[in-house]
Amino acid sequence: MSTAIASTAIALRGIRKAYGRTTALDGLELKVAEGEFFCLLGPSGAGKTTTLKTIAGLEQPDAGTVELDGKDMRGVEPYDRGVAMCFESYALYPHKSAYDNLASPLRSPRHRLPAAKARERIGEIAELLGISALLDRPVGQLSNGQRQRVALGRVLVRPARAFLLDEPLSHLDAKLRQQMRAELKAIGAVQRTTTLYVTHDSVEALALGDRIGVIRDGRIVQTGTREEIWYRPYDTEVARAFGRPRINLLPGTMTPDRGFRSPDGKVELPMLSDTTPGTDVLIGVRPRDLTLGEGAGHQLTGTVYVTEVLGRSVEVTVRLGEQHVSLVAPRGEVTALRPDDPVRLSVRPENLLLFEADRPERPGRRIDHE
Amino acid sequence: MTMRKRLLGWLADAALILYFLFALFPIAWMVILSLKPTNELFSTYFSFSPTLDGYRTVLGDSEGIPFVRFFVNSLVVSLGAVALSLLVGLPAAYASARWRFKGSENLMFTLLSFRFAPELTVIIPLFVLYQKLGLFDTYVGMVWVLQLVTLPLTVWIMRSYFADLTPELEQAALLDGYTRKQAFVRVALPLVKPGVAAVSLLAFIFAWNNFVFPLILTSNEAQTVTVGALSFLGGDRPKYNLTAAAALVSVVPPLLLALTIQRYLVRGLSFGAVKS
Amino acid sequence: MGWRLALRPYVLIVPALLLTCGILYPFGLGLYYTLFDFSASKPQPDMVRFENYETVFTQEAFWNSAWVTVLYAVGAAAVETVLGVAVALLLHRSTIVGRILEKILILPLMIAPVIAAIIWKLMLQPSVGVVNYLLRPFGLGGVQWTDTPTGALLSSIAVDVWVYTPFVAILALAGLRSLPTSPFEAAAVDGAGWWYTFRRLTLPMLWPYVLVAVIFRFMDSLKVFDIIYALTEGGPGDSTVVLQIRAYLEAIRFQRYSFGISYTIVLWAVVYLAAMVLVKHLGKIQRKAAEVK
Repeated sequence: MSTAIASTAIALRGIRKAYGRTTALDGLELKVAEGEFFCLLGPSGAGKTTTLKTIAGLEQPDAGTVELDGKDMRGVEPYDRGVAMCFESYALYPHKSAYDNLASPLRSPRHRLPAAKARERIGEIAELLGISALLDRPVGQLSNGQRQRVALGRVLVRPARAFLLDEPLSHLDAKLRQQMRAELKAIGAVQRTTTLYVTHDSVEALALGDRIGVIRDGRIVQTGTREEIWYRPYDTEVARAFGRPRINLLPGTMTPDRGFRSPDGKVELPMLSDTTPGTDVLIGVRPRDLTLGEGAGHQLTGTVYVTEVLGRSVEVTVRLGEQHVSLVAPRGEVTALRPDDPVRLSVRPENLLLFEADRPERPGRRIDHE
Repeated sequence: MTMRKRLLGWLADAALILYFLFALFPIAWMVILSLKPTNELFSTYFSFSPTLDGYRTVLGDSEGIPFVRFFVNSLVVSLGAVALSLLVGLPAAYASARWRFKGSENLMFTLLSFRFAPELTVIIPLFVLYQKLGLFDTYVGMVWVLQLVTLPLTVWIMRSYFADLTPELEQAALLDGYTRKQAFVRVALPLVKPGVAAVSLLAFIFAWNNFVFPLILTSNEAQTVTVGALSFLGGDRPKYNLTAAAALVSVVPPLLLALTIQRYLVRGLSFGAVKS
Repeated sequence: MGWRLALRPYVLIVPALLLTCGILYPFGLGLYYTLFDFSASKPQPDMVRFENYETVFTQEAFWNSAWVTVLYAVGAAAVETVLGVAVALLLHRSTIVGRILEKILILPLMIAPVIAAIIWKLMLQPSVGVVNYLLRPFGLGGVQWTDTPTGALLSSIAVDVWVYTPFVAILALAGLRSLPTSPFEAAAVDGAGWWYTFRRLTLPMLWPYVLVAVIFRFMDSLKVFDIIYALTEGGPGDSTVVLQIRAYLEAIRFQRYSFGISYTIVLWAVVYLAAMVLVKHLGKIQRKAAEVK
């Protein structure tokens, strides 16, 4: 869906926002295409909620512009922007029933749907979210999961230029979250409407996002499809944010023959990178890209350190000299492994990532190599 | 051990009852005094033939003191003061709870300082000013000066109620398509209704109970019950039964209201500093 | 458009601001009056600069009033605090008796102070008052309550205590009810005695609540007027002439407006300074109490 032809639905340019001395947004740039499902991923305090509220007009940026469908939104009141937002706190009206909460946008001067039509629309949405039986209840009597679905329903019930969803699944229990994640993208309204979805959960972002934006300290660090984020992470922190077990990052230096060498010399890999010899670097390889035993690509040898069962697969930690790397292998292949058993590992060259070494002021950036 | 504990429990209850005797006896004694006929005023204490003559005299304006009018005056100026304070104080409380802006804290502090300012600092100049402006002994003059009592109370308490309300509720209403005014009226206001009720009643009580404003700024037309009750003590022969009846009549409205807002009293009395 | 957003809170606050100015104006006017010798006998006053204040501070009557005011405020606030906290502690046990009595705790507080003073004046009347009648069996029939200097001051304080003890008790009770239970459970498990628990846990944690009450009571007592006006009118002699009563007598009774206002300005300054000190202290003590928690 994220084609170059699609027009830009949401554009943020150089947004700055500070609360007193703390900077929430620091020159944030973001473009979301029409009809796209865009996931904004970042830790708490990165500026995700502020970004949504700035788009909605609930926060005024200190600098920068917000454009919706190409129109500058400066001075446009929230009720005239036509976006719908689901708050992380739900923000349901506690003095009203679930039905009246859902009906609130439809009854507003902006939409003014006739009561019969509104009832029909609310019925559909309630059905979709499985809350039909709860509509008469005051929201105070609903469980957290039910409230979250009512909050989501209040967003989906109306036509909107964009949906802004702030951690809409975060308070659900694991099972319900997984189920809702699958259902969310199937909902017609979501498919038709540009959606900006904020989460701190990389699994959610990978599962849902047509594109993903990684936000850190009030800036977008990287945007891209899940493949781009996965295979070409901007820096070590983005690489660490996605995938469990986490990516292996081995420190070492570049050799004069365009290769990588760990400090103890136990790991040597040809990298074919133009980086200056002697530079401190990190080699990144995802646990699922390391194969146990002989295989295509580069070969490494080490000893088993520890194994940990993860259901059908097993996480094996292997000692390579002074370094540890972890890999994931099917359970059947590793039942015989014991600590200190010697093992061979292989990795395809295209699965190796090269990064600058992490520095105190910033994580190491990825370096291109052949 | 349990014996000793039970004994201590009884002692504690006894101490409590002792305090409440001290607290309630004066009120009970006023009831007794107000029911005494004039000829038995000083001859007996507890045994007498009760009569409502005292109340009849007080409410019949027969001692040259138009007590019923004073009562109505109290009602009018107290209601007026509360209404004005709500009208003016609610938006101010909302603004200072929702936005940080220059001057907001200054205004809040100024209002708080009214709470602790000696009333005469304002009243004596007003006494002079009101004579010039023709506001002396008028409802308008009283409603204005009572703001010194009711406005700080309204703004401070309502600010604490609004501050307890997450702004995201009104933000949700804005995104639902309501204007800011509608969001305030449909979402914020219904949720602070208990606060508005408590603050109105409390402000009414304090306005009603005020004494020094009507003492100095009214003479007859706008005089209220607190000053009126005191005038029964004047004269050559003390009319204790009438004084007691007048005192009781004048405390009925605040007492009845107070019993209905017990739950919200703590926050109100402490200006929002203590929540219960 | 940005400036409209920035302006919105001001629009909401304008009415309150105007009303506040309506109250500040007479205050400023009063301050201005104190620089003149304005009185009923001199409606065309002359500028006397700080002469009024000089007179105030050199008058023995002022220092007497200041002393009486301090005695009254400290006495009333101290008794109300101790009694109020005690009542709160007793009510906190929530026995049947306590739960019934709690409902009527606020009654004296809701009675206008001037009415309370009237009530007590009737009761304390030396020859026919009910208090002396009740004391007669104990051989104390003829106490001249409000007719002796000490008696008048103590009686005034007693009325203040009668009206305002519930105020302290209500706030302290709210405080007691909001205290966390786990430290008390831990103390009980450790076998701590009642006194130790009270000194080391209850009191420090309760202190912020009590302090709010004490500050309110102390500041209010500094500007007491109603109770003394109705009970003693400052007498006998000058024994209960607190500062606001003195200001009233000067400004309204003797119609020396400028001079009377000077008294209230001085009192206002004292109250203001006391507030600054107390509020600063309140912050410190609350932080300390937070550490205990």
